[in-house]
Amino acid sequence: MAWRNIWRNKTRSLVIMVSIALGMFAGVAVLALYEGMMVSRIRTVIDEETGHIQIHHPKFSEESETKYTIGNSRDLIQKIKTIPEITLINQRQLVNGMLSTPTGTAGVQIIGVDTLTEYDFSSLKQKIREGNGLVPDKHHQAIIGMKLAAKMKLRIGSKLVLMFNDTTNDLVTAAFRVSAIYRSTNAPLDERLIYVSRDELGELIGLAGQCHQLGIKLRDDKDVEAAARKLKSMLPGLKVQTWKDISPETEFMVRTVDTYSYIIMIIIMTALAFGILNTMLMAIMERTREIGMIAALGTSRKRIFLLVLLETAFLTLAGAPAGILAGWLTANYFHKTGLDLSGMGEEMMSNFGFRTLIYPEFPAEKLIPVLTIVVITAFLSSLLPAMKAIRMKPIDALRN
Amino acid sequence: MSDIVIDTHNISRVYNPTTIPIYAIRNVHLHIKRGEFTALVGPSGSGKTTLLNLIGGLDKPDEGQIFINGTDITTLSPGKLIDFRLHNIGFVFQSFNLIPVLTARENAEFIMLLQGKSKAERGTRMKQLFNQIDLEDKMDSRPGELSGGQQQRVAVARALASKPQFVLADEPTANLDSKSASNLLDIMDKLNREENITFLFSTHDQRVIDRARRVITLVDGQVATDTNVIDTSAPH
Repeated sequence: MAWRNIWRNKTRSLVIMVSIALGMFAGVAVLALYEGMMVSRIRTVIDEETGHIQIHHPKFSEESETKYTIGNSRDLIQKIKTIPEITLINQRQLVNGMLSTPTGTAGVQIIGVDTLTEYDFSSLKQKIREGNGLVPDKHHQAIIGMKLAAKMKLRIGSKLVLMFNDTTNDLVTAAFRVSAIYRSTNAPLDERLIYVSRDELGELIGLAGQCHQLGIKLRDDKDVEAAARKLKSMLPGLKVQTWKDISPETEFMVRTVDTYSYIIMIIIMTALAFGILNTMLMAIMERTREIGMIAALGTSRKRIFLLVLLETAFLTLAGAPAGILAGWLTANYFHKTGLDLSGMGEEMMSNFGFRTLIYPEFPAEKLIPVLTIVVITAFLSSLLPAMKAIRMKPIDALRN
Repeated sequence: MSDIVIDTHNISRVYNPTTIPIYAIRNVHLHIKRGEFTALVGPSGSGKTTLLNLIGGLDKPDEGQIFINGTDITTLSPGKLIDFRLHNIGFVFQSFNLIPVLTARENAEFIMLLQGKSKAERGTRMKQLFNQIDLEDKMDSRPGELSGGQQQRVAVARALASKPQFVLADEPTANLDSKSASNLLDIMDKLNREENITFLFSTHDQRVIDRARRVITLVDGQVATDTNVIDTSAPH
């Protein structure tokens, strides 16, 4: 009866069903887009910035002094390689310094890298937009970010001077030439990070053969915690951090955006709830006499309440699956093709560390919360009409 | 079981009791026996519908008691009163009041469904009732596909589906043409005679009054006359 009742006024019911479907579509699309953005951000952090795990001297993270290296890295690497989850180990020298050119100066972080592993570790090769990277047999080359290049008016072949302290705190000055300009998805880092040869940097700071950071890539993202535990017990004197420890803002952002996306969903459903409420109130008012009649015949208040509740639920749930399906199919389509958000401003996206090509995805585990929101909306929207229906006195309603 | 189905003890229904009291019903004392075919007549505003509402448990008297088959319905809680109506009283309304989204059969078995009767039980009863109202071929029609007379016959079937103690019919022929009204009265008369079902009508319709075997006239909320009509058509 409840199902048939919603078809009494087909146009009105269809309008509300389509509204619900559109609302659900929008909600699922927003959830999928946010999920895609978060996955993209996490991938950027792991694939291009931090790796899965990093190992430092315990004091290096706090004081960033050149002297705090992790000791004999070759022995360490041999030891670490025994952990089966690990696929890549990358060594870096890290020095904070000053870049100087005829146009000005800028604070930078100089990263000494082995191109063989660094290209895989941070996708540096793929980020290079101009030049050839660090070419073997050529000395004192530097790879700088596009933003820094623009700011300091540097081009391929331009000369730049880097100043930094060595292990004895003496100031070291060295001239480099720009061999490549890269562009990553994280604009603030592009303005700060300069890549040079690890061997050359090691010699300049007096730490040849040593490194400040071991970056580790794993076979699977899920292995992070297990691998970190193993490393911590294997290397008690060193600081082992997962990407979540190194980039807590990313973890926080994932959690916050998750909450925001549900809030958006709730806002959409709240707006729809008023539409549903209005439709149901109209339906109840139009059927005043009929409700009075069934009450007179002996229909309990509980059954009348249930009837209105079911009608609202059918009205809501008839539109919701179509919207969810459409949202899911759309998300799936763009998950394959990618959704180009460069129209929103590449610069802006990269300032927040996001790629412009997002692959939206709607995880199955979010279906339950979404459906819960829909069911709660249906229930809350039905309360007022249902209360109105059960408060009707048969004698008054029949006179209507 | 007592022979008296409806027993009202000096009931009164007053509107605006605190300002200018208007007595819709005043000290009505009435007994209706099982199997009676009674018409409640009187001019507009005489209190026919109010009295029917009181007897049907849709309204409560301000004074007096109403006993249905020995149960004082004025003391029942709203929930129990709903349940009482469901199991004891059949209603036929002036404007049919069938549910448009249900078929004739679904409308008629609505009460049995509320009572939790089995499908088989409902099926047997519906077959019997639709045979009695002569609408077997219209069981699956929606109310919109039926004439006024046919709809009212379905309403009678609905009122009788649960085998109530009595049927209250408020102006049942008011919206019907002569042929439909006569047909409906034939059916109700037959049900009354053959199944001893008690009917209480409120009516203006002379055709109904002519067929009634007891006529109670209300004037200004009071019983003015109460006449038993000699039934010449009853089988001897």
